[in-house]
Amino acid sequence: MTEANSLNSVLRKRLEESETMLAETGCYDGITTLECRDMDPLKFETIHMKLRAGCVSAREIARRISASPGVREVGEMVAAIYTPEGDAVAISNGIMVHVHTMSRFIKWMIRNDYEHDPGINPGDIFANNDAFIGTVQVPDVMDVVPIFHEGELVGWAGAVCHELEAGGITPGGDVALAQERFGEGLFICAEKIGLNDRIRRDYVIRCERNLRMPIYWILDEQAKVAACFSMRDRVLELIDEIGVDFYKRISKEFIEEGRRTQLARVRQLTVPGTYRSNTFYGHVTKGKPGFQPLGDPDWLYSIPLKMDIELDGKIVVDFEGAQPWGYHSMNCTPAGMDGGMFVTLTQHMNFEGLVNDGAWLATQLKLPRGTWTNPDSEFCATATSWALLLPAYGAFQRMLSRGFLARGFLEEVFVGQVNSPMIEMGGISQYGKPFGIAHFECAAAGSGALAIKDGLDTAYVGWNPESDMGNIEIWELDMPMVYLGRSILPNSGGAGKYRGGNAFMSTWVINKSPEVRIVTSEHSSRVFDNAGMCGGYPAPTCQKHRVVRNSNIYQRVEQRRPLAHSTGLDQNDLEQFYQGNQQIIEGPHIAAPMKEGDIFTHSYNGGGGYGDPLERDPVLVLDDIIQGHSSQIHGERVHGIRFKGTIDDETLEIDFSQTQKTRKRLRTERLQDAVPVMEWYESEKDKVKQGDFSPEVLKMYRAAMDLSEEFAQEFRAFWQLENGFAYPQNEQVDLSNE
Amino acid sequence: MNNRQREEYRLLLDGQLPWPQTKNLMSSYKDRDRFFKILEIYQDKVEWDEKILLPIGEHLFIVQKGKQRIVKCSCGHEFGDYRKNWKFQAVLRVRNTVEDLEGIYPHADVCDPSWMEIREFICPGCGTLLEVEACSPGYPITFDFCPDLEGFYSQWLNHPL
Repeated sequence: MTEANSLNSVLRKRLEESETMLAETGCYDGITTLECRDMDPLKFETIHMKLRAGCVSAREIARRISASPGVREVGEMVAAIYTPEGDAVAISNGIMVHVHTMSRFIKWMIRNDYEHDPGINPGDIFANNDAFIGTVQVPDVMDVVPIFHEGELVGWAGAVCHELEAGGITPGGDVALAQERFGEGLFICAEKIGLNDRIRRDYVIRCERNLRMPIYWILDEQAKVAACFSMRDRVLELIDEIGVDFYKRISKEFIEEGRRTQLARVRQLTVPGTYRSNTFYGHVTKGKPGFQPLGDPDWLYSIPLKMDIELDGKIVVDFEGAQPWGYHSMNCTPAGMDGGMFVTLTQHMNFEGLVNDGAWLATQLKLPRGTWTNPDSEFCATATSWALLLPAYGAFQRMLSRGFLARGFLEEVFVGQVNSPMIEMGGISQYGKPFGIAHFECAAAGSGALAIKDGLDTAYVGWNPESDMGNIEIWELDMPMVYLGRSILPNSGGAGKYRGGNAFMSTWVINKSPEVRIVTSEHSSRVFDNAGMCGGYPAPTCQKHRVVRNSNIYQRVEQRRPLAHSTGLDQNDLEQFYQGNQQIIEGPHIAAPMKEGDIFTHSYNGGGGYGDPLERDPVLVLDDIIQGHSSQIHGERVHGIRFKGTIDDETLEIDFSQTQKTRKRLRTERLQDAVPVMEWYESEKDKVKQGDFSPEVLKMYRAAMDLSEEFAQEFRAFWQLENGFAYPQNEQVDLSNE
Repeated sequence: MNNRQREEYRLLLDGQLPWPQTKNLMSSYKDRDRFFKILEIYQDKVEWDEKILLPIGEHLFIVQKGKQRIVKCSCGHEFGDYRKNWKFQAVLRVRNTVEDLEGIYPHADVCDPSWMEIREFICPGCGTLLEVEACSPGYPITFDFCPDLEGFYSQWLNHPL
């Protein structure tokens, strides 16, 4: 056995010992007292701040090396420092989803005997984008380097970038059409991609030959490795300053402190008890080209969540009753589920103090085997797992927010994140070269409302707390499409006393290219995949794509005639302005390539509302109409506002007296139109027993009941169905793609 | 709680607190006794006398009524024992046609009512919309929150319930 192997055998034993200590003492690595903190709290904080500064600085270095607008403009990156066992000590800002997914990657290598083969040595560089090892989806490629001090492994530095092109069956990073792992693109499975601080040339060649746009991936590798080296230097400088033994001790205390802080924060901000929520996602691909007949082209998932807040402050989130994994790209691994939980917690619980893996240790996810949250086949695809993750963790945010509300912290109540439909594309660029890219302006959806104000318009996504849509001009440099407009989508936030944040839509003309294949993902067109809270409504479903093939836009430009810059309030401006083959496409845009002169629109999601819409301040409604955030009809129908004057001649104002009367009348009408819940229940029971649902709904119930006896029992108990009740396997779900 | 703080929290509850102060509340260390301060303000706002034990919605509270702990609307309507889902005592309007859905979503795309319906849980006393569920037909009604009231008061607040 070589000296290095001997050293690394100790590492695996150390990991097991650390886990045993956690189980036995309840404290990270058996750290029951925070000696370093108690000895000198100021020094404790200062040292952590130095490490965190090292991570933030490393991320900024990387952003300046990267060629990818996703990393440079939108900041799709995170950097972190880990213990030798792979637990995060300090992290940068950015896509904090990956702090714990990288932790899983490091631990996977340790558990899989990397100490013996391929060895863990100074100067090594390891990479991974396999979600079953530790990431969320194929484009999330992570690099880690070991940090050695005088021959001893003292930690790891790691960085993740979301790649804009992954070489899959469809162009871009979120490979929407992948129905199995084998269509998702280039996999790097915990691979040693570099030695002696250099990335291997054969690895670079593999990337060059398997990606549509290798410059993004390869320069991102250089960027991440530079970030890792920068963090490694910082750690070694710090060790020179404080001594290696003190560093090893304090880095573990940081994690234990993080664990304790998380528990304390839960006890401070919430109320113990059992919280429940659910959300849904509907997928529509029937008739679209490229679909493989492995699973249903159209399907519906229910996503039930139960959260227990225990008296010690531990959060336990249970996905019992979730749907089975399927032949689509929206499955998720436990690593991805961890990632969703972690990034959500950093926004709601760990926004100050020592943010690290300690928070993760204070929570528990129950992910039933065989569901999309924990597939029992590693062949399944996870390329667009955010489609389900975002609705799920939006529901988690609403449950947490119920706790904030109950505790009196109204300023923290948040209706939650929403889905962020992605555009991926590839073909021939405006420079006449092959290209592929993911368009990341999606990092700016509408947010859910707060309990005290409206949600953010076009400024929030759950997966990157520093949401940013990026500059139009930068995107235009990287794709053969010219923006005709980026516009607020009126009425796209959910209604409420405080409305959800509005979404935006973009409209492009394909320019200087004979072939652009555009594929979009993460659309839930048949069900709302978000929700409101306390009387607020879900945001509308994402507006369908409008396309004009063979448009006459260039003639209009030559004739200096006006252009449509969006679909307009009635969604028909493109038809009115342009001649050509007009198309309305529901769900993901999976279609034949487009070309110069074709027009394409893509819309994003708004957030859910909070509170009864009839309680919305009429002045806010008027302001929304004037600003183009909502329509007058919306104000009248949904908020019961009565107006005087008109918007066109700028005389629109509120008739307060009539508004008050109208709202009173609408409340009375509500009561007249409604029925007691128990009356409704009795009338529904037969329908449920008969399974009088659409085939997709019936299939959803049957799948959940087959997979989860607990869900089945709750369903039967709720509807008073006999023991053992199950829906027969005779519904006619059309599996063909006709 | 001094008068300035009382006014600040009252404005917060009413959504009237200016943004700089709201942002300050969000970013500052949280006050440890916020819960009781907010309860005091809620109690001042309602016109009934039962002691509020816990807010659970924009208009819903768990209150002490004699020996019972029940859910009560700000208007005074009572929904029964807090350990049972108050929604069963509400009235319900279901939107399960495109026409009904478009009433709430003008100029926007809506769900397919054969895949999903909107359930509006309304207070029988005042007609306020208390919760909205968006779920597939046949999906059991969700019990949003059942607090561990005893544990909360005794172990987290160190205060008699």
